[in-house]
Amino acid sequence: MKLKHSLFTRRQFLNGILGGWFGALAASVLYPALKFVFPPTREPDQVILPFSDCEDMKLNTVKNFPWGSKPGLLKKNDDGSYTAFVAVCTHLDCNVTYLSDQRKFFCACHDGWYDESGTHIGGPPPRPLRRLILSIEGEDLIIKREGVE
Amino acid sequence: MMRKKKLIVLCSLIIALHSFVLLRHDFAQQVAQEEKTEMTKEHESQDKIVSGPKDIKESTGIYVFVSWMWLAIVVLIYFLKLKIKEVDRLFEIRYLSGKKK
Amino acid sequence: MSSKGQKMGLRSWLDDRLGVSAVFGFLRDKKIPQHRHSVWYYTGSAILLFFAIQMITGFMLVFYYNPTLEGANTSVARIMTEIPLGWIIRSVHSWSASFMIAFVFIHLLSIWITKAYRKPRELTWISGVFLLLISLAFGFTGYLLPWDDLSLSATKVGTDIPRSIPVVGVWVTRLLRGGDDVTGDTLTRFFGFHVSILPLFLLTILAVHIYLVQKQGMSVPVSDEKKGKKLKELPFWPNFVYREMVVWLILTGILFSVAIFFPPSLEKAADLMAPAPEGLRPEWYFLFLFQMLKIFPSKILFINGDTIAVLLILLGIIAFFFLPLIDSKPAEKKGKIITAAAYLFIVFAVAMSLWSLLS
Repeated sequence: MKLKHSLFTRRQFLNGILGGWFGALAASVLYPALKFVFPPTREPDQVILPFSDCEDMKLNTVKNFPWGSKPGLLKKNDDGSYTAFVAVCTHLDCNVTYLSDQRKFFCACHDGWYDESGTHIGGPPPRPLRRLILSIEGEDLIIKREGVE
Repeated sequence: MMRKKKLIVLCSLIIALHSFVLLRHDFAQQVAQEEKTEMTKEHESQDKIVSGPKDIKESTGIYVFVSWMWLAIVVLIYFLKLKIKEVDRLFEIRYLSGKKK
Repeated sequence: MSSKGQKMGLRSWLDDRLGVSAVFGFLRDKKIPQHRHSVWYYTGSAILLFFAIQMITGFMLVFYYNPTLEGANTSVARIMTEIPLGWIIRSVHSWSASFMIAFVFIHLLSIWITKAYRKPRELTWISGVFLLLISLAFGFTGYLLPWDDLSLSATKVGTDIPRSIPVVGVWVTRLLRGGDDVTGDTLTRFFGFHVSILPLFLLTILAVHIYLVQKQGMSVPVSDEKKGKKLKELPFWPNFVYREMVVWLILTGILFSVAIFFPPSLEKAADLMAPAPEGLRPEWYFLFLFQMLKIFPSKILFINGDTIAVLLILLGIIAFFFLPLIDSKPAEKKGKIITAAAYLFIVFAVAMSLWSLLS
């Protein structure tokens, strides 16, 4: 059955074509299935809080706010300015807390420590806490993700 | 004189027609709006979710998928038919040669 | 050459431990007889195809489904509107269930008519009737899960039917409902049946069923067996499998097309206190039973009509289970009457269903 100059036998050719089309059909069914199983979870571009809520915060305290499905922490610094963090440990995704008396962020899962500017200073965390960008527009405190205009 | 009269008649006719059309248009819009609000109201009260493609992108995607799927099925069946012919022939050859022994 | 040697090594390594070559050897020698009624041999694998699709889409839906009174309807609504292509997945699951049950009926009827349950295949038939009942139970429990008006009422009616059975009936109803009434507990219970208890039973009995089919080989119709001459046979692998692939491709194509262009909708969340909605009907495969209960008189000779109807249905199911034992002389007149009963059953079921649909 094999031709003189052919690289494949007829059977190999048939098997290859069958397998190829089957694979293509299977892939085109798998794609929507994967889209269903992995739905897009986007973190918000920005969160708007009424500024009046955080105006009377004491110095060196924090306030919780929801950043999408993660907790966010709004911190009032000693000079009266504000900083916002995503309150999730950069080690293994636990939520962190702020200890006012020690002026440190603390993650209880694996004893991770960050100083008051969010820099990792002890324990396993590999990176500083993620910062968010703050701006005040009229009555609103606008908290944005880095890189969003 | 005649000309002026004609012009006035024409102008008033145009205005009358125009206002009539405008009125009709307004009325039509009002009716359409009423209908629309009624429909949304009905939808809200029934609260039935009819499933289907969300947007044009999804519905074109569906048509592309269905036509691609049937194309692939037809091609595959064609090649499977060839394959069936091949394996049946192989089986018959083996069957006959087995019989001869 | 070396890679081929390694591959052979791996194969023999696995084979020394698992002994799968016996299975492959068996499948290579397995023969499918060819005759006028061979087409029914494809129905079994069609059921398997739809069951596989049910499992895969079921796994996917359960990622998002929430089996609680508050969450059931909204989570289905979320699957249909928010989750990418969720409406297609739900539609495929719903349609594939119908297709599967349709093929279960065709499979059983074809075996009834060709009398494939003859000795020694009685247990294969009995396990098959179990599989039919489990498939119907899958459909019944799954119908409640979207928790809309229709599914609630259908479940109320369906779980109330056993109550007519003397003595044990009340307890069956309570077992199904998790109390005297259909509540959130019923939903949780049905979810448990649908995703855990029924699949376990189905897979176990299916394994027995398939084992028995392999052990006894394919049955040949009475008429061909009587002739006594040897039938033409095809090897299962690969000749028959390629033919099955053609059937699978066509069925999958039809299923996906129907599911995409006719997706099921979702009514608003069920209200336990609301009156039953009009036009209540169960799934199509329960229609003939539904209609039968509807037309039965309420009193027959001082006995509750429902009780008689339910007992009749029960009797029918029991007779169906033991059909191979009842049909002890397949080639004689009794056998012919039983075959005629199959056609009569088809006419009865179709007529009852149509009556219910048109009224």
